[in-house]
Formats: sequence, C-alpha cells, structure tokens
Amino acid sequence: MSATIPLEEVKTLTLNIYRFDPGKDEKAYMQDIEIEVPVNKDLMVLDALLIAKEKDTSLSFRRSCGEGVCGSDGMNINGKNGLACVTPLSEAVKRDKLVLKPMPGLPVVRDLIVDMKQFFDQLEKVKPYLITKDEDPEQERMQSPEEREELDGLYECILCGCCSTACPSFWWNPDKFLGPAALLQSWRFIADSRDQATEERLDDLDDAFSLYRCHGIMNCVSVCPKGLNPTEAISNIRKKLINRKG
Amino acid sequence: MKEEDKRPIYLNLLATDLPIIGVSSILHRISGFALFCIFITSVWMFDRSLSSEGEFLSLVADLNNLLALKTVFYLFLVGFLYHSLLGIKKVLSDFFGIGEELKSGTIISWTYNLIFLLVASFLFVKIFI
Repeated sequence: MSATIPLEEVKTLTLNIYRFDPGKDEKAYMQDIEIEVPVNKDLMVLDALLIAKEKDTSLSFRRSCGEGVCGSDGMNINGKNGLACVTPLSEAVKRDKLVLKPMPGLPVVRDLIVDMKQFFDQLEKVKPYLITKDEDPEQERMQSPEEREELDGLYECILCGCCSTACPSFWWNPDKFLGPAALLQSWRFIADSRDQATEERLDDLDDAFSLYRCHGIMNCVSVCPKGLNPTEAISNIRKKLINRKG
Repeated sequence: MKEEDKRPIYLNLLATDLPIIGVSSILHRISGFALFCIFITSVWMFDRSLSSEGEFLSLVADLNNLLALKTVFYLFLVGFLYHSLLGIKKVLSDFFGIGEELKSGTIISWTYNLIFLLVASFLFVKIFI
C-alpha cells in the first residue's frame, strides 16, 4: 500500500513590480511576474517576493530579520506603505493582483530599494540620543515607572521610513521638514525625564519648516507597521513650543 | 553626484491609499485656492450690491437668472463651507487635542464630510432648482 502525499492546492498571483536597473534602464517601468501561492496558507508579501525572485533573480529588494523588527523591507504595497515581512497577502492583495513599488519620494537605487540618506539626515538633526549635562552617576540614571511610561509608543520605532515617505509634507520639503519619524524621535527625547537638552531641542524645531509643515493628514499613523502615532508626538512638541512662548 | 540626480523617484498621489483625513486635507487646500480665485468676483458682487439700491436689485436679478453667476456664487458658498468645517477640525485638534488618534480623526473627518455634502446639496437645491 502506498501512501499518497496530498498536493498543496495553489493559485496564481500576479505581482506587478516597479523595476529599475541603473546599469541598463533609462527610466523605471512596471513588470508583471506570475507566481503560485498556496490557497490554504496566508503568506506574507515578503514570501511572495522571494518566490518571484526565484523566477527573476535580478529582482532587488532589502530584507533582513523577516519579522518586523529590523525595518529593512519597507515598500509601497498596493498604494500603502508597509513592511513586506509583516503584511499578509490576504490583507494586501486586491483582485488577485499585488502592486509593489518603492517607498515614495526617495531616489530609487534599484527596483524596490531606495536611498534613505535624506531620511537619516533628518533623523540626525534631532539628535536622537540622550543629552545630559550633569556628571555621569555611578550607576544608571534612574526613572520612575511613571516617567518610563511616558516613552511608551515612542521607543518602539524601528526607523523603517514608512511614515516619512507616506507624508505629503515630507514629499514636498524633504530637506526642510523633518518628517514624522524624526519628529517622533525628537519627542521621545524631549519626553525623557533623563534628558537635559529640552530647550535646545525646542530651539532647533522653532522655525517655519522643521515641525510646522505637519498638517495632521495622519497618513503616517495609518501606515506605521508598529502602530505608533507620530501626529500625536508632533502635536505634543507643538504644544510645548507654544506654551514656552506664552 | 550627477549620476545620483538621474535616479528616478516614485511618487504618484493618485495611486496612494490616503486615509479620509488626508483626502480632506487636500480638499481643504483646493477649497482654499478656489476661494482665493473666486474672492475677486465676490468683492465685485459685494461692491455692486452696496453701490445703490438699483444695482443691488439688478445683482439679485442676475443671481436669479445668470447661470454662470449662480455657479460662481454656489462655488463660493461650498468652498467657504468646506474650508470652514476643516478649519474647525484643525482648531479642535490644535487646541484641544481632539481627533489626534487615527480612529477619532477618521470619525470626525467622515462626520464633517457628511455635513458638508448635506448642506452643499441643500444649497444646490435652493440655488439651482
């Protein structure tokens, strides 16, 4: 008696992918790659990309941890930024088609890979580290549980860039408006009870562009794969700036 | 450096999945621009209405009879209405922190868009029908 191994039921999925190879393409174009995915399993978008890469090995995208921690595989999935590794196909696919494009507003290095320099330049401006003026204590700098709680919803940011590259204000002024990711980090250190550079941080943000270009569109909140709220962080900084003037 | 400038940048607002809050914000901009464009006509109408009783009555008659003038007047009203409604939402958000969560912001946006549609429809019926 021979045992039969049940064949996995599969269906065809069309990936419509943004392609650009600086070595041979004058301009970017969209390419359809058909893949087969199991019907009874919900794969992630990254899994679909890996299957597509078996068909076309020139397909390029960033990836690392594969579980929403490193933030490498941020891309535009059917019109909405997200991490490919934690976006299930059941959520992303519309009418058996998956359109994958690079994150908007940043120069494309190749296919789905963008140059994040502009993004990290803006992050650098907010000095995303603790600044202290006192002498270093013998042990760690203490915080009460309540003070620590203030950082919830801020420290979890993985800097994937999904929020800033989904922000129209960042598209128009990527060199002047800091963008939601950098501003969330800014508030993370302003709100930190151990940080001693609040005034300097606020001074750096007190101009027409750095912070005030945010118009509360909330696309950043809508796309954040970690469920964070940069709009609220920006609003908190704005209140702090207004209160110190008043 | 020159080679870098040749790199494409993907950006297509029409293919972007914006939340209703974002769409409303864009419409707020458009309504503001439209108001600015119509402002000159509205100042002319206001000036005409104040110049004499006869001019006032003739303006009222024109508004009743001329479709183009009616349309401009209607666009001014709906533009002003939309711009004001979103302005109230911004004030609520800036001063009281209302609507800063995605869920509450979405509910508020849908609410004032609905109010706008109802009032704009009412004005349409009153002015054109």
